[in-house]
Amino acid sequence: MKTNREIAEYTLEALRKAGADHAQCIVSHGNVDELNADSGEFSLMRTLFNSSVSMKVLKDGKKGTASVNKTDKETIDNAVKDCIAAAESSVADRAESIAELEKNEHFVVGVVEPDRDKLFDRLQEYLQDVSKEYPKVVIEQLISSFTRASTLLMNTNGVVYEYDYGGYDLSSMFSASEGEKSSSFVGYGGDFENLDNKLIDFGMMRILLEESEKQLDTKPVEGKFAGKIVITPACLDSILMVIFRNFISDTMLINGTSMWKDSLGKKVASDKLSVSTVPLDKRVVCGERFTAEGYRSENMDIIKDGVLKNFMLSQYGANKTGFTRAKNLSYNFAVQPGDESHDEIIRSIDRGILLNRFSGGMPSVNGDFSGVAKNSFLIENGKVTAPISETMISGNLADMLNNVIAVSADTVCDGVSILPWIAFDGITISGK
Amino acid sequence: MLKDLISHYRGELQDHTELRAQVNRNRGVALVGGNLVSNSRSEQSGVSARMYKNGVYGFASSAEYSDEIIREVLRAAEENAFFLSSRVKKNRGPLPPLKEGTIKLDREVKDAEQKRYIEFARELDSYIAEKYPKLASRSVNVRCDSMEKLLVVSNGHNSHSLSPRSFIYVTFTLQAADGVPVELYKVFGGGEYFDDVFSTPEKLYDGLEELYNALVQKAEGVYPDAGYKQVVMHPNLAGILAHEAVGHTVEADLVLGGSVAAHNLNKQVASEIVTMVDFAHTALGETAPLPIYVDDEGTLCEDAVLIKDGILVGYMNSRETANHFGMKPAGNARAYLFSDEPLIRMRNTAILPGKDKLEDIIASVDDGYYLTETNNGQADMTGEFMFGISMGYEIKNGKLGRAIRDTTISGVAFEMLKTVDMLSDDMIWTCSGMCGKKQPIPVGMGGPAIKCRVNIGGR
Repeated sequence: MKTNREIAEYTLEALRKAGADHAQCIVSHGNVDELNADSGEFSLMRTLFNSSVSMKVLKDGKKGTASVNKTDKETIDNAVKDCIAAAESSVADRAESIAELEKNEHFVVGVVEPDRDKLFDRLQEYLQDVSKEYPKVVIEQLISSFTRASTLLMNTNGVVYEYDYGGYDLSSMFSASEGEKSSSFVGYGGDFENLDNKLIDFGMMRILLEESEKQLDTKPVEGKFAGKIVITPACLDSILMVIFRNFISDTMLINGTSMWKDSLGKKVASDKLSVSTVPLDKRVVCGERFTAEGYRSENMDIIKDGVLKNFMLSQYGANKTGFTRAKNLSYNFAVQPGDESHDEIIRSIDRGILLNRFSGGMPSVNGDFSGVAKNSFLIENGKVTAPISETMISGNLADMLNNVIAVSADTVCDGVSILPWIAFDGITISGK
Repeated sequence: MLKDLISHYRGELQDHTELRAQVNRNRGVALVGGNLVSNSRSEQSGVSARMYKNGVYGFASSAEYSDEIIREVLRAAEENAFFLSSRVKKNRGPLPPLKEGTIKLDREVKDAEQKRYIEFARELDSYIAEKYPKLASRSVNVRCDSMEKLLVVSNGHNSHSLSPRSFIYVTFTLQAADGVPVELYKVFGGGEYFDDVFSTPEKLYDGLEELYNALVQKAEGVYPDAGYKQVVMHPNLAGILAHEAVGHTVEADLVLGGSVAAHNLNKQVASEIVTMVDFAHTALGETAPLPIYVDDEGTLCEDAVLIKDGILVGYMNSRETANHFGMKPAGNARAYLFSDEPLIRMRNTAILPGKDKLEDIIASVDDGYYLTETNNGQADMTGEFMFGISMGYEIKNGKLGRAIRDTTISGVAFEMLKTVDMLSDDMIWTCSGMCGKKQPIPVGMGGPAIKCRVNIGGR
């Protein structure tokens, strides 16, 4: 067995022979070349030869899954036994299913061969650029890799999707240091298809490097007040993820605790807010082309002009709740830009915080949240003034979406999401 | 058990080279409201090699595991080390030699059938459904993992190790009178195989009752008053404090990256009743929750004392950072998967118990909070930390008051530790946590009840 297709065919046949009524198998092969620098110096080069086989089976309406990272017959035969045994000891659930055949397709995205020398040169240039232009910044850890993979999904309904992709990613963790002072770390990065541009110019990198140096002399906000926050693109991604996991994900809808379970088609946010998941957007690098359940991915509106359009439900979640399956299961967010620049928005704010990172506890089921405003600045009378520390913000995620002051016209793409700055009102800000 | 295909390569290993075969097994069963939403078994195994050359490392791994592949992985690791060394030209000499030896596997590999997990979870779930009909939702989540490693090094200790963990997470949600759903979870289990920790569901009933009663109190609870407050942290929080707020800042790679600990070695960073240790395998006369005997660089593990009587006295190191700081490596370099390189990681990190009784500590607080459960935590290089608080109580005039709803606390470690003026004389260990750095890794953490001052979030 050499090819993904041969391995998948063998696995499905073995599952059928072992008693499966329906089955699905995902086979993947790939390589990763990765360069690492620690404390501004190159430290490690890694090469990973990866493979994986994951299988799902339905037997008498009962599901079992198993996954292994080897593709030899003995390993697959053992995994097949495990998978069937898991199904046999499971509970029949009519919501379980295997994707129906739509139209099979082979997707090819990105670059196939890495340029190891050029990647090294770009990273070295990045370290030199940072050292020259932002001398107080220390790159604590820099990781960049090229990943190439071929994945095939096949099921007993005849579905066959193949996806060959290759792309680069970057993760840079840095802080500023001067004498005995150091700033909080900033982690920033993303995905890109080629090495045409300087890495220091990637996404929000320059803004964050510059702000990191300003973060050496922070102070806590004084007292407690209800204020406004401007969430930057670097922070918005994780906030959106938390909101949607809390309100429209499988678990929260299946167990019925989502605050938005009856809100489909209704207004859940300010009409200034439109959010989609867009794995097929050209700006997204190697986005999802089919879901792990075997459905072709399409872009999808989640909130359009403040109205909840779709839940992020798997087919299982959809069958369980009676709602519709999500058209993709990615977290590639795109937020519709507004009319003013983020600078203009900041100018309109009397008192609040420019939030670059939020370090918070898990929000409550109802959306109540609290946490620390990291790498953030005070906004006073329309100007970004002091860098802050030991400042907490709290509020409610659902209320916050209804209190959008403005969405910026300018957006930042990091190869994963395309996001603006958004200003929200009604946040409790408390210092020491 | 892993087949040993690597030991006979020891004589061939060049410079400093580590060759590691490893298998990680994960078993999972999740019941949400009685529905079996997850039922999975996964295994990730393979072989990797890492070679040190003139101040840089080359690494390669493969999921396949055969003589042919081992040779290919060794060759690729060497090629990567040469590539990087030729481009970077650090020209650093070899690392100081390690004590040599071999640690053999002292326990057997066990693997329960999936049926066992499912039946246990279903029985527990049925009991919960019947016993607590007022719950708005419930979930029972069985998570078992194990890590078996076979390590051969050109210099140092060779070893064969096995670390299993088995946990059941039970989450309850209640609808509070104000219409807000409130949630609380409890983790059962520890660093053993499933059948060694869980005999019958009945043994968990008392814990479920505690969870339910706490949730009922939380449903009737109030939002804390935001601000800088006196708090008593239950021992459940001490471990995460030791790990997140202090532990990360004294990992030598982060010290080199500019953490707050870089300028505080041999200085007072905590009140003098605070001592903190990263234990290797034995703590206070007992086996630590996740014992580590040899790390993935072949260093024989010893305890790393981090804070002694309030003074910062050491860092956690790899061989390379220990050489840089002129310290002795204590075996903190650990890798998660076969395809991961060793990173500086904590093992069993704890603040040591003090001399006070918990009831006396609570009685000493006029106006503050007793914080009993946490659901996550983060910290950074400055030592500024944040923990999510999922359960706690007001303290008024030395007595426990109303329960509180979810909140967050924060502080700056080396400032907050100076406010510690009482520590309880007992401690609790946990090991269900996964620490996230470049890779995840299971860690143990522990400590006593702690009286200190922190910022608390609220309405």
